[in-house]
This record gives sequence, structure tokens and C-alpha cells, in this order.
Amino acid sequence: MDREAEFRRLYEANRAAVHAYFTGRTGDAQWAADLMQDVFLRVWQHLAKLTDMPDDGQRAWIFTVARNLSVDAHRHRHTQAGVAQALAHEPASPQQPASTAVIAGERVAVVGEAIRRLPEAQRVTLTMAAAGGMTSAELAAALGVPAGTVRYRLSLARRAVTEALDRYDHPRET
Amino acid sequence: MTSLDDDIAAWAATVRLSDAEAAAIFHRIAGTPASAPPVAPRLDPSWWRHFTADFTARMVSSTRPVRQAA
Repeated sequence: MDREAEFRRLYEANRAAVHAYFTGRTGDAQWAADLMQDVFLRVWQHLAKLTDMPDDGQRAWIFTVARNLSVDAHRHRHTQAGVAQALAHEPASPQQPASTAVIAGERVAVVGEAIRRLPEAQRVTLTMAAAGGMTSAELAAALGVPAGTVRYRLSLARRAVTEALDRYDHPRET
Repeated sequence: MTSLDDDIAAWAATVRLSDAEAAAIFHRIAGTPASAPPVAPRLDPSWWRHFTADFTARMVSSTRPVRQAA
């Protein structure tokens, strides 16, 4: 396999997970894209070393770089600055009536706000599962924690989102 | 009424990197020259053969008696 094809394989296999990881850490999808680019630039520069590793080792190497970059980035920029902007998207489906689209957009905003308020470990785990499409086992390997811890974090995070949606669906009358 | 998974998936779709953005990043990186270890200057592997052949030829020609002009 030539150099670019090998890089493409690694990129496609890991880009969603890495972007989701940074989105969970920073709350800013655009900043996450910049950090993701930094990670894969290092992958490109060290491709020969990575090619000799098994797939598990490659992903572990990539997430070690991601964690280090994330720590560096946090030193230079306040985490919460871009959270509201990143999570305030209101996607509207053109196939749906306007009122349905508005309600759907509001629910997305409620979910985003609930996720933003989660403790970081839960926020990162839920974002990687939801936006990165990762399984508990993959999350455990990437984050360096037991699979049981991943499932516990996901359970707590989902409960918090459920409660936020319940408050949205059934507002208390005053 | 949507399920919790649907709501979370709808949110995830708003923060997920689009394929177009991902492709742009890929091409930016793949267009970057790869860092390679510096290549030390080295001689052609056949330099010794060429050198000795040339040296021998010069020695032979320089030690040959010069014909005296008649």
C-alpha cells in the first residue's frame, strides 16, 4: 500500500472518533477540527512508524497524541468559550413543516445544553459515542479506562439528557 | 415523540465533521511534505572502481617513454 493510501485508511478509520473526542473536550466543533488536523498531521509525519503497529496500537498512538494536544490547547484557550456557539446549532429539515422543524431544533438545543453541562468525562464519552459512533470497548481503549466505567459514564450522561428533555416536554406550571 | 437516541443523534449530527470538511483537511495534510531523515551525501557505489581504473590509466600513460621526435 502506498503512503497516501495508508494514510487515508488511518484517517478514515479514526477521524470521526478524534473529532468527537475534541468536540467533547472543547465544546467547539471548529476548534475540534483544527485540533484533529494537528493530530493527523503528526500521523502523516510518523506514518512509517505507525504502519508497523497493529490496529489497536495505531489507535492508541493517535489518542495519546490527541490527549497531549488537548492538554496543550486547554492551556491556551478557555474551554467553555466556544461551547454555546458549537451547541446552539438549530438544524432545520426542509422536508418537515416549519413548526416541526422548530420543535426539533429546540430539542437539539436542549440536548446540546444538557451535554454542555455534563462533567467533562461524561461529556467526552457521550460525544464520542454519539458523534464518533464508537462502541464501549472502543471508547475504553481510546480513553484508557475500563469498559464498565465507559458504560457508567454513558448511563449518567443519558440520564441527565433525559431529565433535561423531560423538563422541556413537561415544564412546571407556575 | 422522538426517542432519546433520536434526540442525541440529531444533536450529534450538528457537531459532526462533514465529509467535505474532512476531505479538505485530508488534502491539506497529504499535500504537506513528509518529514524524512536527512540524507547524508554519499558517493556512487562504483566510485572506487572508476577511481582505480582512471588512476591506473594515468599511471600507465605517464610512465610510458615519450617518443623522441626524429
